[in-house]
Amino acid sequence: MILGVVLGRPGPVLVAVMDGVPAWPVARAAARTAERACVALDLSRSRTAPVAAIRVGGACPEALRPVVSRGVATIVRGGHGVTGRPLAPLDTEAVRRFAATCGLADFAVTATGSTMLADHELEVAAAITAEVPDARITLSYEFGHPGLREREADAIRNAGLGSEAGRIADEVARELPGVPAYFARSGRGLVSAHYFRRYPLACYRGAAASLERGRAALGVPVPDDEAAAYGATLGRPEAQVERIVQARGQAELDRELQRARDEALTRVVSAGAAPGSARIAETTVNPMSYLPDGLYRVRVIGEGATP
Amino acid sequence: MSRLIDLDELGRFSAGARVFATGAGDSPYHLALDWARSVAGKGVELVTAGELKPETLCVAVSLAGSTTALGEHLPRGDEPERAVRALERRLGERAGAVVALNLAAENALVPLIAAAMLRLPLVDGDGSGRVFPLVEQTTYALGGMSPAPLALAGGSGELILLETEAGRVEELLRPVVLAVGGWAVVACYPMAAADLARVLVPGTVSLLIRAGTPGAPRSAAAPFGVRRLCRGLILSVEGSTGHDAEVSLPSQPSSIVLREPDGMRRLVRLEAHNEIVLALADGAVVATVPDQICMICTGDGMVVDVDEARPGLEVDIMVVKAAPVWHTERGLALGGPRAFGIAL
Repeated sequence: MILGVVLGRPGPVLVAVMDGVPAWPVARAAARTAERACVALDLSRSRTAPVAAIRVGGACPEALRPVVSRGVATIVRGGHGVTGRPLAPLDTEAVRRFAATCGLADFAVTATGSTMLADHELEVAAAITAEVPDARITLSYEFGHPGLREREADAIRNAGLGSEAGRIADEVARELPGVPAYFARSGRGLVSAHYFRRYPLACYRGAAASLERGRAALGVPVPDDEAAAYGATLGRPEAQVERIVQARGQAELDRELQRARDEALTRVVSAGAAPGSARIAETTVNPMSYLPDGLYRVRVIGEGATP
Repeated sequence: MSRLIDLDELGRFSAGARVFATGAGDSPYHLALDWARSVAGKGVELVTAGELKPETLCVAVSLAGSTTALGEHLPRGDEPERAVRALERRLGERAGAVVALNLAAENALVPLIAAAMLRLPLVDGDGSGRVFPLVEQTTYALGGMSPAPLALAGGSGELILLETEAGRVEELLRPVVLAVGGWAVVACYPMAAADLARVLVPGTVSLLIRAGTPGAPRSAAAPFGVRRLCRGLILSVEGSTGHDAEVSLPSQPSSIVLREPDGMRRLVRLEAHNEIVLALADGAVVATVPDQICMICTGDGMVVDVDEARPGLEVDIMVVKAAPVWHTERGLALGGPRAFGIAL
């Protein structure tokens, strides 16, 4: 039996799915015997923690600086251009000072050019950890898409949701001991509880996405929460990778694509897929306009089956 | 009669400048708009070229290179001013007005930012009436004006002055733009207001302000006419694959293949080289540059860039008629299919 769960007001709504057929209500004891639980939630009204945002790059107009609704932000020197060329050496000392004095534990790190080369984000993460050992760190390159400010905004939102996601995942684990938990993504697909703790933003509108799926599968006369809970059970573990790569010729492009696919497969497994089931669902490669030959936007979607 | 582009009008102008703009991702567009809003102050004066004293030095300002690069590697903020000041130093003369090279999204906003920062009027018009990939593909060049001397300011403080014969600017500019990070602000085509009045496509700034007014039809942004070629579902993007097949090298230029879902169910092929250069339907040529061919997403009504095209997306193929000067013999030589290496 697969359990669909909607975490909403006033309490959770459960649907038990056997051979594709949903049934409710579900007794607590029965719920604890599920082979897995698929949880849909809406994080848009969740509490967010104050975030320490670090941007790696140069000076910019005031209007383009990092925006944190709660928390603090700084810009430190460093970053890479779209061709991977370093813009400036990373100012690790500035990172240390900021991390040591900001008084926060949720960090969002966004480096210029990290969709090409994530080295500076990784170095910043190491510097933060040296100062704040229990820091929770979101690196923007894991969201992948180009556009520094949008990636930074995503990283900051994700970092702000970290503690709430941890609380939710703990609660689900307490309520359903021994049942592997998955969380519905905003688009399609599922991620593991472990993945959800790190990337709660991926599940920001999971309830809405699951409702759409559930309605499409069930037809109309089902209450929203039950339809969404059912919709959540229909997903499979899924993860995406988006990169800008530089390649001269077919062999280099093949190698870069293979790297992106490997990363997508690793992520799908981290998102809860059985290792043998992980596969590439979609690869898109587009040459970038107004740049010389050899720069491509690569998007890979991986998917798999639950164990 | 001069008037002020205030913050409200700036919003409409930028929306209008986006209606048919290709190559403008969300990130660089919002960046340029936020930047423009932050410097616009009480507003930017909009004048016609004829309202300026005939000898007034006018300077075209534009973004050069990749807007994706701009969205990633943010500007310091002083690039437009540094580029124009460098050109002024070279010419020994102060600029009296700023004009756009073209009015596609960020390229419409960057000259406005320059005008605001330098407290100069912006001329109502541009050098394209649409957008072409090359700095030399303008009505200014068609009218005999040279893009050089040209000053270029990069996002890491670089400043470069290019002086060369007119036909070599692009060749020299490309590697420089790449070397400074993929984008730069250029100040070019220095010319007297009397010359500008002769060579620009007039009135396009106020046209786009009207086109960006909520409720205005899409055709308001196409003064010389627009037609819908067809609706199509993207089947493939060369170098892209939907389902785990082998990926072939997408050499630039790239191709986008679509199928009409209804009607004649034609197979439509778009050949792109930075922009869409040619459209074929069942093998027959149905549209080419200098007219502008663009894909509009049927879901959200936004332009789909060549590097955002992906299988499964449903788009309307629209053809925006270019200004009449582009359909003259000289215009076709500069901006027609042959200029993109297609012998039609």
